[in-house]
Amino acid sequence: MPFVNWLRRRLVVIAGLLTLGYLLLPNVIVTVFSFNKPNGRFNYAWQQFSTDAWKDPCGVAGMCGSLSLSLRIAVWATVGATVLGAMIAFALVRYRFRARGAVNSLIFLPMAMPEVVMAASLLTLFLNMGAQLGFWTILIAHIMFCLSFVVTAVKARVMSMDPRLEEAARDLYAGPVQTFVRVTLPIAAPGIAAGALLSFALSFDDFIITNFNAGSTVTFPMFVWGSAQRGTPVQINVIGTAMFLIAVLFVLASMAVGNRRNRQKA
Amino acid sequence: MNTTDSSGDVRLVGIGKTYGSFTAVHPLDLTVPQGSFFALLGASGCGKTTTLRMIAGLEEPTSGSVHLGEQEVTRLPPYKRPVNTVFQSYALFPHLDIFENVAFGLRRRGIRSVKKQVEEMLDLVQLGEQARKKPHQLSGGQQQRVAVARALINHPKVLLLDEPLGALDLKLRRQMQLELKRIQTEVGITFIHVTHDQEEAMTMADTVAVMDAGRVEQLGPPTELYENPRTTFVANFLGTSNLIEAEVDTRGGGDIVLDAGGGKLVLPEARCSASARTGDKVLVGIRPEKISLTHVDDAGEIPEGRNRVTGTIADASFIGVSTQYVVDSAVCPEFAVYVQNVERDGRLVPGADVVLHWSPAHTFGLDAAQSLLAGTTGSAGVESVEEEAA
Repeated sequence: MPFVNWLRRRLVVIAGLLTLGYLLLPNVIVTVFSFNKPNGRFNYAWQQFSTDAWKDPCGVAGMCGSLSLSLRIAVWATVGATVLGAMIAFALVRYRFRARGAVNSLIFLPMAMPEVVMAASLLTLFLNMGAQLGFWTILIAHIMFCLSFVVTAVKARVMSMDPRLEEAARDLYAGPVQTFVRVTLPIAAPGIAAGALLSFALSFDDFIITNFNAGSTVTFPMFVWGSAQRGTPVQINVIGTAMFLIAVLFVLASMAVGNRRNRQKA
Repeated sequence: MNTTDSSGDVRLVGIGKTYGSFTAVHPLDLTVPQGSFFALLGASGCGKTTTLRMIAGLEEPTSGSVHLGEQEVTRLPPYKRPVNTVFQSYALFPHLDIFENVAFGLRRRGIRSVKKQVEEMLDLVQLGEQARKKPHQLSGGQQQRVAVARALINHPKVLLLDEPLGALDLKLRRQMQLELKRIQTEVGITFIHVTHDQEEAMTMADTVAVMDAGRVEQLGPPTELYENPRTTFVANFLGTSNLIEAEVDTRGGGDIVLDAGGGKLVLPEARCSASARTGDKVLVGIRPEKISLTHVDDAGEIPEGRNRVTGTIADASFIGVSTQYVVDSAVCPEFAVYVQNVERDGRLVPGADVVLHWSPAHTFGLDAAQSLLAGTTGSAGVESVEEEAA
């Protein structure tokens, strides 16, 4: 019985730790294997500890080129989708116009459509238009599928925003631009930020749509896929681990800033 | 404060607002003298908030013009008007702390050193300690005071208050009413206060305009509105009134003698808002607390010259300071009478025959061509208040 009681009191903690472990285990594997020195071309079995890959992350031909391309596409897709998506969200919440209802539901279609189908259809479209496949077709495709996510995130935020706040700003001598910059934007910011982060993550690791519409251009996910057929360089794990660490650092930094602000207030 | 100086008056000239085929505000003229505490009173949907928003510039009038002193501001956007608003939901900026909320208006006008002014203003509303908190960390009453401070710091010519106490509980409401009145006296700025609470309007305002269905029904000091209402809506919306249908019998010597169900009632000419030629129908009104109740056995002791109505007590409810009777009479089926509990007559119980009597000076006369029930609970206007609250 003492054991059952002990378990009962710590059940939430135990369940939490197990879930966390389940979530983090793949990341641990990626990190551990970035220090591996595999015996053949495949990085699937542990051989011995080495920091070779970390010392020379761009040592694999073509990998860092594809990485920088993916980053560029992700940044531009994020900017494009966030700006357009935020504007669509504001329009949908704030204004009554013809076909508003239709736009409201159509905007969800890209999320619901199977990715493979969308990828193939996009390719058909680009080929029929005679578009040159490459950077631009990838970017257009990415902005398209990121849009719905941004619209959803921003819309939720704008909908919960009291329209009286903007009236109050105008009443307190803020012109239209100042009202937007000082009140509307800061209040909508968490929604916009959430949409932007989602866009970046979705664009950076998209494989299916990119693979169909890239032509001879190779993004990082395509490079990983391609190299997996012939052998996986350890550097892929290095890049993966680095991305993970950067994300964690961002989260820690934003938490630290938030904490300091709260302490100043108190 | 020089009250005869009209340079800061708010003048609305023929101002009206329609939405499609719906008329929210019928063209109305209104002058609010500088430095006064003015209340727009009415049930929800009567056009009072629309009127307020047109003064603020948040709503564009369909007709007419708005003047602040010498300046016409009808076409000016809200951020160019020397007018500030306290919103019903307070509309405090959630991403800014209390200090920055209050400083918002000053900063937008390019004023750099705001610290001293903001601190003084926060002291005025007794929130100096809370400057660095976020709005959601404050109680409803505190948020309300921040909203007032945020508006007042700009020294507007007029402060507009849109049901600012609506979200507070009764006790806090009473406290804030006094607080707002104190602040208004202290700063001497014109306050225009919108409310559906007649008690609130009467306690706080120097002048009250009662609105119904987009029109001003009557305008005047609270005592004037209460003692001498000019329409059935005002008579019923402000407190309770007993209304009796009567016919003009004779008039002379400043008095009108009316015939109501066979009895005679006297009404001073000056207190009758209807035309009263012999034979005209008039509604005679009397407030429940002006009426004395005497048991029919003592009817001989009632002094001469008082208006009398006989009836039977239908119901009596004791509520501490007074007893409220409902009397069934020939002229009015549910006569309300409030009697102070000074010396209670044990015979005044349901079923007792009584004589109601009151001084003619407390009687008022209204045009009989109106609904007897306008402005009472259960009429359309009050229902929509409940709808809004639900």
